[in-house]
Amino acid sequence: DVIEFHGPEGTGKTEMFYHLIARCVIPKSEGGLEIGVLFIDTDYHFDMLRLVTILEHRLSRSTEDVIKQCLGRLFLVNCNSSTQLLLTLYSLENLFCSHPSLCLLILDSISAFYWIDRINGGESLSQQEESLKRCAKVLEKLAREHHLVVFATTQTIMRKSANSAENSGKLQCGPETDYRSYLCKSWQQLVTHRIFFSRQCPAGTTKKFSIVSCHTRSNNITRRSFSVAECGVQF
Amino acid sequence: MVILRAELCPGLTAEMIQILKANGIKTVVDLVSSDLEDVARKCSLSYKALVAVRRVLLAQFSAFPINGADLYEELKSSTAILSTGCKNLDKLLDSGLYTGEVTELTGAPGSGKTQLCLSIAASVSHCLKQHLLYVDTTGGLTAGRLLQLIQSKTEDEEEQAEALQMIQVVRVFDAYKMLDVLQELRCSIAQQVMSSSGPVKVLVVDSVSAVLYPLFGGRQPEGMALMMQLARELKTLARELSVAVMVTNHVTRDSSSGHLKPALGRSWSFVPSTRVLLESSEEVQGKASTHRVASLTKSPRQPTGIQVELDIGTWGLLEGSPSESGEGL
Repeated sequence: DVIEFHGPEGTGKTEMFYHLIARCVIPKSEGGLEIGVLFIDTDYHFDMLRLVTILEHRLSRSTEDVIKQCLGRLFLVNCNSSTQLLLTLYSLENLFCSHPSLCLLILDSISAFYWIDRINGGESLSQQEESLKRCAKVLEKLAREHHLVVFATTQTIMRKSANSAENSGKLQCGPETDYRSYLCKSWQQLVTHRIFFSRQCPAGTTKKFSIVSCHTRSNNITRRSFSVAECGVQF
Repeated sequence: MVILRAELCPGLTAEMIQILKANGIKTVVDLVSSDLEDVARKCSLSYKALVAVRRVLLAQFSAFPINGADLYEELKSSTAILSTGCKNLDKLLDSGLYTGEVTELTGAPGSGKTQLCLSIAASVSHCLKQHLLYVDTTGGLTAGRLLQLIQSKTEDEEEQAEALQMIQVVRVFDAYKMLDVLQELRCSIAQQVMSSSGPVKVLVVDSVSAVLYPLFGGRQPEGMALMMQLARELKTLARELSVAVMVTNHVTRDSSSGHLKPALGRSWSFVPSTRVLLESSEEVQGKASTHRVASLTKSPRQPTGIQVELDIGTWGLLEGSPSESGEGL
């Protein structure tokens, strides 16, 4: 499955990842899944200390050793350009082969290079999207061959185009899903679930967030709300 | 895009490159993503050699995965929290500026962004004895005020001079120059050739919007790309060389809700990990006041919405009256 997280800044996307990672790397005896996670960070957003804080809250006995054991199941990659991302994805083949326990791949975020690629591609749209298209292809292959679940974020960097009827927004997914696809087609086709993140209170005084999950194929819509506290995400 | 060259890896000969080129494989990406069996057949090259070349190229150009436990160990030793010298602000930032992160100060003109930057500079250089690079894009930094702030911390002239020496100031007025400065800083830290001075621990950019705004006329994507490039450079600096980065940004008013929001648009809003909004306290608006309210609008650690009061006037002044605080900079 490929799941896309979409939302403006400060709506808890990265926080949700900490929750997912924590759940995956915690041993079975503590109620976790005890599987490996690969985190590709293209935005330098990942805060290890925050993850450790969350782990400390989740574990019943959080000794340094247990935490390190948990973190040992996590791999991190930083990517600095879309070309590097592509080559890294190719090279990950080896890592997945040697660590069969890796089941989850998180890419935060896939839209990070959008503007830079757009300039480097020159005039033609296909050139602009070339790298991302290839990335999507490799991701698909990786996910299929190694049975991975892929999570990726895309950032709301565009306003919904003015003519996309604002009034009819309520019918489909609600007004909070300020979504405009700007990434290439091959990525759009890859996504099986799209989850929209938003803040419940626009003033930013509460810690309440809501997510709307949307199955791209069947158009099933589910809503949940969650809050973020010191110990992580709570539903 | 890296073009295949003979020097790239030992197994790759000039001859091979010629043949590959004739078959449409020019760059590293081309070679890595192509089906090697197919290539070997078409170019009559040894499959084994190609596989070896591919492996070397991948190792060279891809990012290497780090194990979480190792990274945690490394972070524990490299992360520093630099106090800003103001208790209230430290409380807001969860005890200070974190190395490896970008912190943004936003606020309307005259809300005290520059003053805050200067006080932090004074505090970092004198109290923490750390080196600091101050990138001034508006001409808002005045040496006199900086000295005044340091003087309030120590009366010893030698110590004052020492503190001032910790602060390097660069004036840049466009984004290209700024990229140059940042890249230079990155090289110099990486090679540890800061000759006279130690490694820079704090980078202050006041203000980042002043250099970025002029880019958004005309062809927008170009400006956006340059902005993201700059953002990337700032974040790489912060993360890889563990520098605490602080930038200032203007605010605009949201046309629909009327709330203040940081300028530079949505793409930029993802860049800083912590954001603080400065405002004059409301009850005394209109009059010249030294009181400011700082509120946390984004943070990876603390709940957002916390507010603290800051008093800029007395912040570094010995016996000055509030009117001397020079907040109009």
